[in-house]
Amino acid sequence: MDPRIEYDRHVTRREFFGRSVLGVGTAALSTLLSREAAFASPARIGQTRFGGLPSLPHFAPKAKRVIYLLHNGAPPHLDMFDYKPGMKKLFGTALPESVHRNQRLSTMTASQSKKLVLPSIAEFKRYGQCGAWVSDFLPHTASVVDDLCFVKSMHTTQVNHAPAITFFLTGAEMPGRPSIGAWATYGLGSETEDLPGFVVMTSRDKEASCGQIFYDFYWGSGFLPSKFQGVRFRGSGDPVLYVSNPDGISRSVRRGLLDDLAKLNAAKQREFGDPEIATRIAQYEMAFRMQASVPELTDLESEPQHVLESYGPDVNRQGSFAYNCLMARRLVERGVRYVQLFHAGWDHHRNLSTQFEIQCRDTDQPAAALVKDLKQRGLLEDTLVIWSGEFGRTPFCQGDIKNRSRWGRDHHPYAFTMWMAGGGVRPGLTYGESDDFAYNVAKDPVGVHDFQATLLYLLGIDHEQLTYKFQGRQFRLTDVHGEVVRDLFA
Amino acid sequence: MRVSSADERATMNSHLQRVGRMRIGVSLVVIFACPFTSLWSEVDFEREIRPILTDNCYACHGPDENTRESGLRLDTENGAASVVIPGKSAESELIARVSTGDPDTLMPPLESKKKLTPQQVDLLTRWVDEGASWAEHWAFRTPLRPAPPEVEARDWVRNEIDAFVLGRLEAEGLLPSDSARKETLLRRVTLDLTGLPPTLEEVDAFLADESPRAYEKTVDRLLASPRYGERMVWEWLEAARYADSNGYQGDSERTMWPWRDWVIDAMNHDIPFDQFTIEQLAGDLLPNPTRNQRIATGFNRNHMINGEGGRIPEENRVEYVFDQTETFSSVWLGLTVGCARCHDHKFDPLTQREYYQLFSFFNNTPVNGGGRSGRQDPVVELKTPEEEDSLNAFDVRREQEAAALAEIEKKLFPKLIDGSAEDDASLKGLPKDIVEELKQPPGKRRLRDVRKLAVFFKERDPDYGGKLDKFGRTIEAYEKLNEAVPRVMVMEELSTPRDTFILTRGAYNKPADKIVSGLPAVLPPMPDNAPANRLGLARWLVDESHPLTSRVIVNRFWQLFFGVGLVKTAEDFGVQGEKPIYPLLLDWLATEFMRSGWNVKRMHRLIVMSATYRQSSKMTDALRERDPENRLLARGPRYRLPSFMIRDQSLALSGLSVSKLGGPPVRPYQPPGIWEEATFGKKSYKQDHGENLYRRSLYIFWRRIVGPTMFFDVSPRQVCTVRMLRTNTPLHALITLNDVTYVEAARVMAERVFTLAEKGTSESRVETAFRLATARRPTDFERSTLVSRFVKLVEAYRANENEALQLLSVGESPRQEALDPVEHAAMAALCSLILNLDEVITKE
Repeated sequence: MDPRIEYDRHVTRREFFGRSVLGVGTAALSTLLSREAAFASPARIGQTRFGGLPSLPHFAPKAKRVIYLLHNGAPPHLDMFDYKPGMKKLFGTALPESVHRNQRLSTMTASQSKKLVLPSIAEFKRYGQCGAWVSDFLPHTASVVDDLCFVKSMHTTQVNHAPAITFFLTGAEMPGRPSIGAWATYGLGSETEDLPGFVVMTSRDKEASCGQIFYDFYWGSGFLPSKFQGVRFRGSGDPVLYVSNPDGISRSVRRGLLDDLAKLNAAKQREFGDPEIATRIAQYEMAFRMQASVPELTDLESEPQHVLESYGPDVNRQGSFAYNCLMARRLVERGVRYVQLFHAGWDHHRNLSTQFEIQCRDTDQPAAALVKDLKQRGLLEDTLVIWSGEFGRTPFCQGDIKNRSRWGRDHHPYAFTMWMAGGGVRPGLTYGESDDFAYNVAKDPVGVHDFQATLLYLLGIDHEQLTYKFQGRQFRLTDVHGEVVRDLFA
Repeated sequence: MRVSSADERATMNSHLQRVGRMRIGVSLVVIFACPFTSLWSEVDFEREIRPILTDNCYACHGPDENTRESGLRLDTENGAASVVIPGKSAESELIARVSTGDPDTLMPPLESKKKLTPQQVDLLTRWVDEGASWAEHWAFRTPLRPAPPEVEARDWVRNEIDAFVLGRLEAEGLLPSDSARKETLLRRVTLDLTGLPPTLEEVDAFLADESPRAYEKTVDRLLASPRYGERMVWEWLEAARYADSNGYQGDSERTMWPWRDWVIDAMNHDIPFDQFTIEQLAGDLLPNPTRNQRIATGFNRNHMINGEGGRIPEENRVEYVFDQTETFSSVWLGLTVGCARCHDHKFDPLTQREYYQLFSFFNNTPVNGGGRSGRQDPVVELKTPEEEDSLNAFDVRREQEAAALAEIEKKLFPKLIDGSAEDDASLKGLPKDIVEELKQPPGKRRLRDVRKLAVFFKERDPDYGGKLDKFGRTIEAYEKLNEAVPRVMVMEELSTPRDTFILTRGAYNKPADKIVSGLPAVLPPMPDNAPANRLGLARWLVDESHPLTSRVIVNRFWQLFFGVGLVKTAEDFGVQGEKPIYPLLLDWLATEFMRSGWNVKRMHRLIVMSATYRQSSKMTDALRERDPENRLLARGPRYRLPSFMIRDQSLALSGLSVSKLGGPPVRPYQPPGIWEEATFGKKSYKQDHGENLYRRSLYIFWRRIVGPTMFFDVSPRQVCTVRMLRTNTPLHALITLNDVTYVEAARVMAERVFTLAEKGTSESRVETAFRLATARRPTDFERSTLVSRFVKLVEAYRANENEALQLLSVGESPRQEALDPVEHAAMAALCSLILNLDEVITKE
């Protein structure tokens, strides 16, 4: 760890317990012990910060927190946002070589001799003041386009899921680097101590139509201390592992045990003078508070009916995308810095004409509701919402184009679409363009490292300066690349 | 965590500025900043100058030719000579450029966002004025055996380690700490050498033994225990990225555990480290290798295997060789070579060509990158004699049944079988796919094809269908049995070596120059007569002239016992790594290790026998201010136990732990649904029962994509890890408070407390529980706190007996029904508190 942080942490710790170096001052300890879980309220967040580097943010942030909706399996840009009406009349014709240029594709279609044009299977209309084109499959997203900022010129270097997601989230295709959320909480800390600063939630289509796995290195801390790794909230049972007391240990019994644990540990610290003991006392207290704040978080009693309804019919099912979207709002409301959602089921190699529609239905409403809900609460202003896949899907058909029920699209890294909302991006903007076949970027390309640099910028971080020295090298999220795309800013 | 002295100085300096002190000058800063530098000493190039250059200059003026600006390199003395005039800082371009106020010529340039502090500029200036001495990077020089320094307090010195440490402490004006109390020391050394706490009998015996050799006898007892290998293997498993599944999509299981058992056995039998190295890297290339020597080479096959659909086999294979090359370098050389996959190293003298020369050593196996299985050739099969017999018996049966079927089919479909016609009369009405299956001789059909035929013919021809069905069952039984046979993936050499090319930017399909295997020029060459293969490479590593291997390994030994290495960056001995805090001690240990015949237990013994190790770990205010991380070792080590050891300790204290050595991995308690959720139900965790719940942590099944949930601060076992960070978070507390294993351990420990306590009083019971966990008697404060808590707990559970019974039914082991459930539950809750005491989860 950077010694500066080590040092600061040490100082903070001591200040926390009073300057008496000999350990926990009695006053401090009793305050600590008497403090029952006090929940962060929207009014409180943004005012306190726990942890983080003293030098950060580098400049005033536009976004204070992030909710990233990652659509695992790669949604087809052509059928959702990237409207290419000219392709319609070319249905079933060979995609010109001048377009595909024999670039690398996944081995699943690399050897497919014909690349036959498959136009969008959806109709498109223009919506909102901004007039953005959106497919008919996404009526709810269409209703919030004036809050969204589309980037239609995304491109990546990876053609397989795991390396592509790893690249999107860690800046490198091989596992082992810190995920964006780990960098963000390492640099900026969190606004709550009662919940983890970096939370991950996963969901998938009910049909389990594809086998995408959520690898834990997607939200790993890499070489950063492991406390920065994302904490995965589970889709069933306790949302946080081990958060419930065992049978037969009530909350009051637990409280009593922790009181004495703290007393005995404090005595130990007086004798041994090890500041790590003071930290340990504090962590056990935080664990106790988390035992209250996690159930409070997941208790939807207080949510008005119309809000629940806005997220769609799945909102009450723990582990659904809708539930996770609502939970994401509740998390940022309570001061969590970074929420990473994954939703799998987009890998439509052979089931575009069947599964795609279901997939849209399950995700369209919750994502749009999240944007509206944040906006209505005044949180969208400084909360950045991101919607993306790990790449796009081919504009040509995978499989037999004569057999509609088996239509599919393969992985496609050369052009795809993502959107962002809130947190300092310009609402209603559409940035960049792909070519007439949505195959290659035609204008204003945005690479994955550029996206990451931009995201960090919105958080008030210069991506070249947030580094961590490991194995003799200063590592950063954007490796040695990345240009901030300032045109996206409001 | 890493600290270089330059960083540290910057830290302290910014602190000084923060608290509003005036900058009084460089020398004072040095006193404050760095407890490790004596006053008025000359600037040390290695420690103070090179880190400034590597951090700030090498990206553009380092070893990488392709990014070098203006042809200037500052990583060699010759290169620097063009901008440094020794003794004359005022005339040296280097100093002019780093101290100018002109933003156009300032170095490092503004756009690099790097900036030298005034102290760094002062240091560079002083260094030039003092003659600009230059030295080859310390770690690339063969260690020479230094003589231990003369010290004042000779009585304190128990072995050479202490002489080096004390020499420094005396020079720094520090005193070593008193020896730790006997109970603390016993617990420390027992945990360190066996990963388990001492038993009460061991504590009593040690306290009673007043002979001067009491400690030494204990150490020897621990070193001889089979638990020693089980303790020591953990970090090696992390370095070797050992796991029980492949990782990636599919995450197939593998059976590499016989390799893990080989390592435990090697450690318990104290195989010299040179042999340990050679057998793992090249056991297959030894003359007439034994089965165990081949199993040892499983080290290199522990990497992840990617079975994802769209991957290209050769791309995977190249990834595996990258992993092998980089793991090799981290584990034995302490060098991070990965950057040189794509370009010359930015800091260390390692070119891209040299990277692929190393890569070439591992590039000659017949491994195919295409498969998804976790048992891919080449493998060593480990059949028991019974399995061998049964498999042979099934083989015979399978052949007989196949032959019988062939006979029948000859009669049923004569022309199909002899190939003269594909659709003779006998085939009329058979679907095309069935005909296709029938063309395969029965002995070559896959299980699912046989089943398909059996179903198809079941009613058309019950006799033939029945025989097919029976044949299917035979194959199924055979395959099931065969699946159970462990197959350890191992290394083998192709008879015709594969050509190796430099791969442009590391892309498997962009070969550039063809190269042959070789070693980085900065390291000693291989002897002329050595084979240019893995065997030659392994022997070269353990040659006495090698500057890195022994240093890197003894540094990791040090890390085991003191929590941090003499070189903190255990994974990086390159120029960006930390300089050793005790360079002479490191070199002495490295040479001693080789002189001892690479005897690992001897080195471990030397460390734990030292007075340095035996010190109390109490921190005084002064010492904490001066050396908060205890790098100077004026006190003993104190840090939280690794999580695997906390679990093992709890099981040991409860008496539940099982002392069975080795074998297939086990599946203890884990919250339900963890695997299912991560794999969409494709993998389900089937928890074991009985003794497998209580085996030591190292035997727990390690699924790569979703590792065991009960550990923290452990390597995810995806790539090589040689240094772990220790963190302190609320999630750790939740595990040790609430995980079934810990709760059950507490309630079973409570039963032991009732049995072992001398008297039936609460005081005696509390004291027993406390002593079990800490090896010492509680203070009055501790005893009275715990007793009054116990009384309150009894009251609480008396009022709610149902809760008591609930607590007592956590975990699968039966409870002693004879005990009063209220008292038992109260003691169980109290034991849970004790198991969470800082002292108990800490090596003190």
